[in-house]
Amino acid sequence: MSGLLRAVRPRPRPVLGEDVFRLDNVSVGFRRNAIEERSLKHALAALVTDRRQPPHQALDDVTLHIRRGEHVGVIGRNGAGKSTLLRVLARVITPQSGRVFVDRGVHVVPLLELGIGFQADLSGIENVHLAGALMGYSYAEIASKMADIVAFAELQGFIHEPVKNYSSGMYARLAFALATDVEPEVLLVDEVFGVGDEFFMEKCVERMRRLMAAGTTTVFVSHNLDFLIGQCDRLVWLDEGRIVADGAAPAVARAYRAARGTS
Amino acid sequence: MDKASRRFTWLYAKSQLKLKYRYTALGFLWNLLEPGLFLGVLSFVFSVVNRMRISDYAVFLFSALVPWRYFEKVVTTSMDSIVQGDWLMKKLPVSPFALPLTRWIVASAEFGFSFAVVFLIFAILKTHWTIHCLILPLSAIPWSLLGLGLGLVFAALFTFFRDIRPVVQIGLMLAFFTAPILFKPDLFTAHTIQRSMIVWHPVTYLAALFQKPLYDGAWPSALDWSVSFGVAAVSLLAGVLLVKRSRAQFYFYL
Repeated sequence: MSGLLRAVRPRPRPVLGEDVFRLDNVSVGFRRNAIEERSLKHALAALVTDRRQPPHQALDDVTLHIRRGEHVGVIGRNGAGKSTLLRVLARVITPQSGRVFVDRGVHVVPLLELGIGFQADLSGIENVHLAGALMGYSYAEIASKMADIVAFAELQGFIHEPVKNYSSGMYARLAFALATDVEPEVLLVDEVFGVGDEFFMEKCVERMRRLMAAGTTTVFVSHNLDFLIGQCDRLVWLDEGRIVADGAAPAVARAYRAARGTS
Repeated sequence: MDKASRRFTWLYAKSQLKLKYRYTALGFLWNLLEPGLFLGVLSFVFSVVNRMRISDYAVFLFSALVPWRYFEKVVTTSMDSIVQGDWLMKKLPVSPFALPLTRWIVASAEFGFSFAVVFLIFAILKTHWTIHCLILPLSAIPWSLLGLGLGLVFAALFTFFRDIRPVVQIGLMLAFFTAPILFKPDLFTAHTIQRSMIVWHPVTYLAALFQKPLYDGAWPSALDWSVSFGVAAVSLLAGVLLVKRSRAQFYFYL
């Protein structure tokens, strides 16, 4: 439980201007030997000898503001802190230092993984209700959209089957249909565009474009730079937990490619 | 707890109950048979130890054993709920209370089923019924809140210290065998260590909330109520505060 007293909880409050997210000097660190630290034995031993290694900084003094309606792509190498950043925005991670403001007036749907909340033995319909509740929707709201969700996922003949009988494509289609049919005001997407076959993927991209055109604020984490250049008006380049560049998508993409020697 | 977490908690608990019985051959009947068999064996063995008629002893035993089993189940299943819920806690901003509460709801529903079994058995064993049995729903509340409170405390502690499970299990076992659940409180004479232990044991008063109306045909005393609700309130407060205080750290230990 070390560090408990040092924890700084996000203090969401209405933001000034058009900002949906505002991160000020945010740092998130992970202890390298956290697995062995998860024991009473270790905690007691640490009272005598503190041999802890310094934490790995997944995010290091990050300041970032995202305005309503912006489409932001986050790029960087593996381990750069992209997913951690998305989890901080989604309020899944509370940073150890810095301040996070999230506009509580907007409905944020984190799509960090497809099918979060799905239970293998429950039917497609039951899972849509369960996962819909996690996204903040009532039973009635989901029920009213059920026909559209099932039609988009192309699962009319299978929706009463347990999802454990679905193929990975069917599973992902249902999860994507749910996350995007409810038309969130803010969508946080972490590398989930491997959905189904090529035809369905095109359908998903088309739906994303429609949501974005309708004003949904989107933050994408992806290694697909061409996709991000096409969809985002702003790119944030992270490296070792720090922001290297933040600006117009083509310019940041050019700098990123040049740095990697792939331009 | 936010609205989304509340909705999820309720739906998830319902789905867990549904799944538990959906694919079993005897379905719902297992829920009645399992506690029935357990109680039957225990009453046979301990009626011999206590030199009581089996029917008489069974009424005494079941009255406190059923709420104890409920309490124990809430504590032990809540303990690993946050750790086992890492698939959720690491992906969505769900309240850390949602998972222990789900376990509490499921155990509470099963407690209701178990008590239905007890009443079926009592219909055969118990010769006369008194009005005092009407108080039993109120008697269940401190057991339930105590279980939830300790469940929250251990859910938070287990997230940080994965080796506390045996400590908790031994603690529960000690509490069970030193409380007047298997034996009657008057088994020990006054001014003995065993008698003092029973007087200071909080479960003595919680057990009395069921034993007195069901076995003695009497109302629980003011002391029984105040100790039971006092202990339950303190544990619930401790559980809520500990989870709230440490929630920001959970992610890093899952």
